[in-house]
Amino acid sequence: MTHAIEDLIQTGSIHRSVYTDPAIFDLEMERIFNTTWVYIGHAQEIPEPGDYKTTLIGKHPIIVSRLADGSVTALINRCRHRGPIVCQHERGNSKHFRCPYHSWTYDNSGKLIGVPMPQGYGASFDREALGLVKVPRVAEYQGFIFGCMTAVGPTLEDHLGGITRFLDAYVQTSPTGKIELFEGTQKCGYNGNWKYQLENGVDPYHVGALHLSAVTPEAMQIYRQGRGCVIAMDGHGVTDHTDWGPMPVDASLSGGFNLVIFPNLIVLRSQIRTVRPIAVNRTEIHTNVVKLQNVPDEVNLRRIRDQEFEFGAAGTFFTDDLEIFERTQEGLQSGAVEWLVFSRGLDREEMKNGYMTGTMSDETQHRGMYENWKQMMMGPKTPALAAE
Amino acid sequence: MLAERPEIEDFLYREARLLDSQQFEEWMDLFTDDALYWVPAGHDDIDPSRHVSIIHDDKKAMAVRIKRLRSGHAYAQDPASRVHRLISNVELGEADDERETLEVTCMMLLVELARHRQTIHSARCEFSLDRSDGRWRITRKKVNLLRNGEVLESTPFLI
Repeated sequence: MTHAIEDLIQTGSIHRSVYTDPAIFDLEMERIFNTTWVYIGHAQEIPEPGDYKTTLIGKHPIIVSRLADGSVTALINRCRHRGPIVCQHERGNSKHFRCPYHSWTYDNSGKLIGVPMPQGYGASFDREALGLVKVPRVAEYQGFIFGCMTAVGPTLEDHLGGITRFLDAYVQTSPTGKIELFEGTQKCGYNGNWKYQLENGVDPYHVGALHLSAVTPEAMQIYRQGRGCVIAMDGHGVTDHTDWGPMPVDASLSGGFNLVIFPNLIVLRSQIRTVRPIAVNRTEIHTNVVKLQNVPDEVNLRRIRDQEFEFGAAGTFFTDDLEIFERTQEGLQSGAVEWLVFSRGLDREEMKNGYMTGTMSDETQHRGMYENWKQMMMGPKTPALAAE
Repeated sequence: MLAERPEIEDFLYREARLLDSQQFEEWMDLFTDDALYWVPAGHDDIDPSRHVSIIHDDKKAMAVRIKRLRSGHAYAQDPASRVHRLISNVELGEADDERETLEVTCMMLLVELARHRQTIHSARCEFSLDRSDGRWRITRKKVNLLRNGEVLESTPFLI
């Protein structure tokens, strides 16, 4: 790193190394994904006791399990003996996880319940201390489950801030106030930085340009009317289409809102997207499709068919997004141009309801997310990172 | 006998060649109006009303997809992927001589070149064919990708 972290984010511009420097990526894993609340799954993915799913928090392989008492726990998926992951499946139901290497066995709360020939370890062997390591904090809001690798710090609701109001409204799209998920996950990858997807999830400015071939004339008309707003909300990004009406049950592009919940969750129309940073230039997106309760079957069928058509690996919108993420990573290799422009709306944004708010095509929400990024990246103890 | 295998093989080769050579309109004309073009996600055998797919197009959706590819603004296909498909292991399944319908399975090895990267997809394909109006047409094309449960790169071309 040749710049101090605080110098990489300027008012209205961002330094290219934020997207290209492997040292920045490593620091993001440490100072963002190891410290803040990270989305790890939806309650509907693990509805029954014993249900589990595997995922990541930054670089940590994680098992998220529902225990017999209905509570949810998250464990580091790594045998305490020699280190293999103890669960290789994406989903399942099990009361225990066994590492096949030497048959160390854990119950689904992480407790070590089986060690072959334990006498070989002698008197000092402390089985109690050798359970699967727990993610220090797990919390849920409206069914969205988050894990936090630090034991102290803001609560999940503090972290979500004003976003809770939007998540409340999102689940209210379902007449019962509860959402379900379709089975299966759309999984896509691109050779580019993870933050392109975060920016893109709340970027109305690009819709009429990049997605010209995919967006319907009716939706384009709505976008061009310029109503709605973008909000920098407690470090997260919101595009609020409220002027166009509430979230439509068919999840069509005609209302509602997009949420980018820093650092890895996007809630957009019928989709819950999880952003998985793999390397500075590699990202995976896992998308679940939201189903509503007590609506006609054809409404849910429309939701899933439209999601696949527009946002699956072959999606008419998403393939152009993935394309531009890869082109951006290529363009930013050039050190001849150091800065990206994020100044749109600086002259016209204003405080509304306690949040900096811009008009629909502005970049206010991006500036808010990167201010949050900067604060986290500067770290709790070292406000200015010396050049390396 | 409704058909000998060489006739069906020729049909499948033609279907593959029309896609490889981007003759999308001619390709779509191989399908009946009520056809389904389906690429499941996760597993080969899913219920598409309960489980997400990669592609699940009726003919109307196919037409929209092709219109987009022809629009000049499908940036993920600028330049277009170059694609080679190898069709093999063709097996004729259930035939209905009365209704002139036939089930066919084959293996496909698809090699795509885009953005200087070569991507290989292997798939077991299922075709439901219909000759009731005098020529073979597809009522259902299902592509069971070997990697349908894995992280896929952007797949903007027709599979």
